[in-house]
Amino acid sequence: MTTETQTKDLLSGGTQTTTRRRAAIASYVLLAVFAVVYIVPSLLVINTSLKTLPEFFKDPIGLASSLNFDNFANAWNLANFPRYLLNTAFYTAVATGIFVLSSIFVAFPIARGYFKGSNVLLTLYVIALFLPPALIPQFQLILNLGLFNTRPGYILLFLVNPIGMIILVNYMKSIPRSLDEAAAVDGAGYFRFVWKIILPLIRPAIATVTVLHAIGIWNEIVMPTIYLTSADKYPITRGLIVFEGVYGSDWPGLAAAVLMLIIPMAALFMFMQRYIISGLTAGSVKG
Amino acid sequence: MQVMKKGYLFGTGRRAALPLLLLVPGVFFYLLIAFGPSLATAFYAFTDATGIKGLPINWVGFENFREFLLRGAASRDNLAALQRTLVFAFFVTTIQFSLGLLLAVVLNQKLRGRFFFRTLFFMPVFLGVVIQGLMWKLMLLPRGGPVSEVFSLFGAQSEFLGGPPTQAFIWVIIVQVWANVGITMVIFLAGMQTIPSDLYEAARIDGARGWQLFRNVTWPLLTPAINTNFLLNVIGSLQAWQLFLVLTGYKPGTQVLGYLIFAEGFGQAGGASSFRQGFAAAASIVLFILVLILGMVANYIVARREKKYMA
Amino acid sequence: MNRIRWIVLIAVLALVAAACGDSTDDTTAAPATTAAPTTTAGDGGADTTAAPDTTEPMAGLTGTLRVLLHQNPPLVEYMEDFNKRFMEANPDLNVEMEVLAAGDLATAIQTRLTAGEIDVIDFCPDPCAAFSNPIQPYMSDADTPVWQQLIEAGLVMDLTDEPFVANYDSVAVADASTYNDRVYALPMGRVSYSGMFVNNDLLAEVGVPLPTTWGELVSACEAIKAANYSCMTVGGADGWPVFVGSYGLLGAFYPDQAGLVEGLWNGTIKWNDENTLELWRRYQTYVTDMLEPGVTGLAHDAGPARYAAGDVAFMPTGVWQGPAVEDAAPAFDWTYVPFPGSDDAADNQYLFGKYDMSWMVANETANKDAALAYLAALSDPAEYNTFANAVGYLPTQPTATLDTKLGQAVAPLLENYRVGFEQYWVAPKGAGQWSNGSQGAQFFAPFNTWEDPVALANQAQADLEAGLGS
Repeated sequence: MTTETQTKDLLSGGTQTTTRRRAAIASYVLLAVFAVVYIVPSLLVINTSLKTLPEFFKDPIGLASSLNFDNFANAWNLANFPRYLLNTAFYTAVATGIFVLSSIFVAFPIARGYFKGSNVLLTLYVIALFLPPALIPQFQLILNLGLFNTRPGYILLFLVNPIGMIILVNYMKSIPRSLDEAAAVDGAGYFRFVWKIILPLIRPAIATVTVLHAIGIWNEIVMPTIYLTSADKYPITRGLIVFEGVYGSDWPGLAAAVLMLIIPMAALFMFMQRYIISGLTAGSVKG
Repeated sequence: MQVMKKGYLFGTGRRAALPLLLLVPGVFFYLLIAFGPSLATAFYAFTDATGIKGLPINWVGFENFREFLLRGAASRDNLAALQRTLVFAFFVTTIQFSLGLLLAVVLNQKLRGRFFFRTLFFMPVFLGVVIQGLMWKLMLLPRGGPVSEVFSLFGAQSEFLGGPPTQAFIWVIIVQVWANVGITMVIFLAGMQTIPSDLYEAARIDGARGWQLFRNVTWPLLTPAINTNFLLNVIGSLQAWQLFLVLTGYKPGTQVLGYLIFAEGFGQAGGASSFRQGFAAAASIVLFILVLILGMVANYIVARREKKYMA
Repeated sequence: MNRIRWIVLIAVLALVAAACGDSTDDTTAAPATTAAPTTTAGDGGADTTAAPDTTEPMAGLTGTLRVLLHQNPPLVEYMEDFNKRFMEANPDLNVEMEVLAAGDLATAIQTRLTAGEIDVIDFCPDPCAAFSNPIQPYMSDADTPVWQQLIEAGLVMDLTDEPFVANYDSVAVADASTYNDRVYALPMGRVSYSGMFVNNDLLAEVGVPLPTTWGELVSACEAIKAANYSCMTVGGADGWPVFVGSYGLLGAFYPDQAGLVEGLWNGTIKWNDENTLELWRRYQTYVTDMLEPGVTGLAHDAGPARYAAGDVAFMPTGVWQGPAVEDAAPAFDWTYVPFPGSDDAADNQYLFGKYDMSWMVANETANKDAALAYLAALSDPAEYNTFANAVGYLPTQPTATLDTKLGQAVAPLLENYRVGFEQYWVAPKGAGQWSNGSQGAQFFAPFNTWEDPVALANQAQADLEAGLGS
């Protein structure tokens, strides 16, 4: 077992309480400085969202003189943010789910070298790590498939992630081959074996890949500009950029919109952060 | 047909086809969305393709590459964008890596509120690049904005994002690190928690303290996390340009290669410029070669470290 | 255990999202941009009733008409109202309007037209100037402009024989919407971008006359600043509004703007010749001394609100900001005059500008009748008059007149209206980033780092020649 308690005096380098206390104080000072840099932008958004436009122009950072909730009502009326949030969640969940499931069955035989050409395939994935996004042919592809401005078309764009594949392969390599042999002796089928035995063992890697991939989709802003034309299909990123373009200099209105998005997102994040953070890490530091 | 190798254990004949069947979707997506289009990019790079349906596509040989790398003073601007891409990647990687490590070391102590801080530093990742950008545009208002006010306390003044490109560029680097250092930190933290505590005890008995403990125990045993972070940061920062779109827009003097490719290919390069997807494809081949070379170097460093510490 | 819950959560989320997504897909999902309440309080309603009833029902118009529009608050407001009336007149027709920031418009037009996902297009991609920047015979190697690419690809409908084209000024149609003798668009208006808004009351208070020459402008600014007011503001965060102001300077030096472009291409005019060096010095004075601090963070559309605050004397910008200025209701007397860039007042009487947005129809539209009916309704003279006044365009229909305050200020200047440099200029391939001297103002501090006008002029010429010789 490894815990934080034993490494706590990593920096303090001694057991004398004074040194340890000094280290703790230094740590807190550092954390406080960073915390300011992370908290102030949010406070600023809250403060700005409560101002009227003239008030903002007069003094961008002064405290809002009164609670003015009109900005929220306006932003709510002008853009369909709940739908954008739902769209983003939908794209992220579906694309990540399909990607992870399909990748497991690619990664396993590659990791085991079970078929001819598995090394070639792995090399192809490694090369793909470095490929710039092939925006232009992808656009032609989606058009010709008739998937422009459709949800399936948009999701299709996010079904590949070479880094994820490589993490999975590496992790699977660390699982002893004797398991395969034992299962084969017991007469287990391939699918059953991967699903029932391998899957639980590589859960940390799956969690990592899931989170990395989901973050990528969640943050995407270029693809929706190119591929989605109807406002009812916009993810948050696109919806917010359009909103910014349309209500550009109305900072209080913009801040209200941002705040309305931050609140549900922060709640979602609080709920999931344990899984996200443990997921992000577990698979990427082994194997 | 015998495609499975000898070592395959789960049946023979028709039953052996199952893994291949299950392999198909993943590989199909890969070929369809990533590999195929990438090959096609290499083809487009030699044409005058526009991306507009109905216009002929003509073979132009190396003209796009000549224009990008050699032609007139525009090539100077293109090469500056290329150099800027490298500078951006260098600073983002080094700063994000070091800060992430520092924060991880600090937060790996048993401090009160450490979970709060971890969550806080990771939060921007979750908010996404558009909200990050809006927050910082607001923070960086040139007159009366919070950062500007802090500057003026020290008698300094900056135009931030709307001023000289170099200043704007520095601010994009700062926001990029601010937004993503959380991922780096969390990966380091996880790595640290896999280090067995008796190793520290043993080192301490040998008389190691503070920095020595870090140098001799943490650093070598952190190798997998270090490697993951290093690769993620190098490759990620070479291809990252979305914050430029949100913070500065497309301007000569701040654009990096990824942005240039998008802008040239999709009519956002300004002026009455037309859609130049062939030219953009050539630029993306240049970016690919750049990333490949640097990725190889990064990979080499990683492999050497692994040999040194993991043997 | 934790990870299993994670995966379950994702799966559940996916199902919920899928369920919500599908159930509302075809029924309630109104595009965000049209979801805005269009009848708020008095003025919205007044608009509706005051507007002429030109949208008579057309028999059998059904389906959904997809319209692309660029962002400009008065324009969007007008179009939302128009769409509402058009749909009331054609109850079986649905108009779905997508509003995008001007910067995204080119991408949207390219992708929507290629995908056949659009019917009516507001052709206003940067620089939003109709069929501008055509390649001239003396230009040896330059990029084809977007509109020409689209027409040659067969994506734009030929409107030559549509009756409503005749409602527009034939000169405007020929200049702004015609290619190879066929008409492919409707020129919806002109704007001027070389003038400035003036705060008359502030000038009176400080005691300086309305400047008509560069020298007078310089001394006016000094007096204004000495009285603790700002001389000029401009929404500079987006970049281009800054050189919009400097077009006045360029126009004062080179009233023949098409000639300037030709001269630069064939070498008879140079950015760094003796006469032009003074232009660069004035650019520098304009951005460094005259503009107030902080304009690098002021967005273009925030300019009118800033100007309306009353403590700034001038705002160089285009007439299209007139409605926004009026909306901001400045509590002072204002007017709009050409930017006095020359020492000779006679050279300062020109207004330079461009044709602005124009309507196009996708050639492959499945709603041809509806699209043409839409344009016909927009082109009706009474409707057009409402439009031009709402948006602040200088009209391109001969019967329309601007009855706004801005329109009255500009009316006497219109006989000296000229299309500006920006609409003729095509950079030779290989030219560097400093080669477009009309944007020179923006190369100086605080927007960029240049401080020596002569060095910058030399660089501009070198960047241009690098392209011409490549």
